[in-house]
Amino acid sequence: MIPATLRLTLIIAVVCYFIVILYFLKQKALNLKYTLLWLVAGLVMGILVAVPELLVSIIHIFGIQDNMNGLFIFAIGFMIMILLSLTSIASRQNRKIRTLTQELAILDKRVRELEKKDIE
Amino acid sequence: MEQKQRVLVIIPAYNEAENIVRVVRHMMEQAPQYDYLVVNDGSTDDTLDLCRRENFHYLDLSINMGIGGAVQAGYVYARKYGYDIAVQMDGDGQHDIAYLDRMLAPILRGEADVVIGSRFLEKEGFQSSASRRMGINILSALIWLTTGKHIMDVTSGYRAVNKMFIRIYSEDYPMDYPEPEAIVAAIMHLGRVKEVPVQMRAREGGISSITFRKSIYYMIKVTLAILICRMGYGIRRGRREDLQEPRGEE
Repeated sequence: MIPATLRLTLIIAVVCYFIVILYFLKQKALNLKYTLLWLVAGLVMGILVAVPELLVSIIHIFGIQDNMNGLFIFAIGFMIMILLSLTSIASRQNRKIRTLTQELAILDKRVRELEKKDIE
Repeated sequence: MEQKQRVLVIIPAYNEAENIVRVVRHMMEQAPQYDYLVVNDGSTDDTLDLCRRENFHYLDLSINMGIGGAVQAGYVYARKYGYDIAVQMDGDGQHDIAYLDRMLAPILRGEADVVIGSRFLEKEGFQSSASRRMGINILSALIWLTTGKHIMDVTSGYRAVNKMFIRIYSEDYPMDYPEPEAIVAAIMHLGRVKEVPVQMRAREGGISSITFRKSIYYMIKVTLAILICRMGYGIRRGRREDLQEPRGEE
């Protein structure tokens, strides 16, 4: 039901997707911990391209009429999930930075005091 | 017994070059028996230079973290150096050091864990604008609804806390506009929160951190924060004795 050319395009797209992620991983521009989600997403996309019937039956289980609509709904849902997890990562890092800044300031004061004592 | 308690006055300062020297000098003259700590919250003006030149005790946060992060840095410091009582007092001259003893008294007597300096108990001194007071009353009502405790001046940044709350606040202190939320956290930790009448002055220099434009955002954010903070604790039916750490060794 998916035209052969579209399928080919999708396969190439998924392959490119993996190449980009692996490239980033190799460059250490991405942390493997935070990349797992993206890798899983790529895997799901790959499976769906390989077995499109799967997507159709899943979509029908959820009562969605149009295949393309279903695909978009899933894609958007997935992206919202990833954004949420990114926000949570940002919040956690914010907290860590706060603690570090406070500790740094306290150490800075201690160093100043020690230096002053040294001079005396 | 009373004088053995070590007190740290935390003075958060963000771009307070106009006020900070006067505030700290005033504090050193009026209450030299207490330690103080200016927390420079990544100011972009001369606040840091002034602290350095005047040889004040100060922490220098390399990033601006907002009042919550600055005050918390003070609590972390107080905990690290074993202070018994921490007082937070704005660096803009609104809060008068003359009321310090009055604020410390309930804690020294062991009657309260958190003391809030309140403008509205005796309705003297600077009372803020009508619209601000309305906002404060709404938040006060919200805190009363969610915790059952009536606090009038929920946005007052003039506070004193005992050792137990130095620990609690150093571990977790609300961010952004922390004052009302910190009260809810204190009540939910079964702290005895007490208000003490103080007079405040209108700001002497600089600009208030809350402009009119931000007040809508402020109300929404703080309302949500109070509700979420309250939710986070669930139903509290414990007694004070259940608290894990006893209140000091006194």
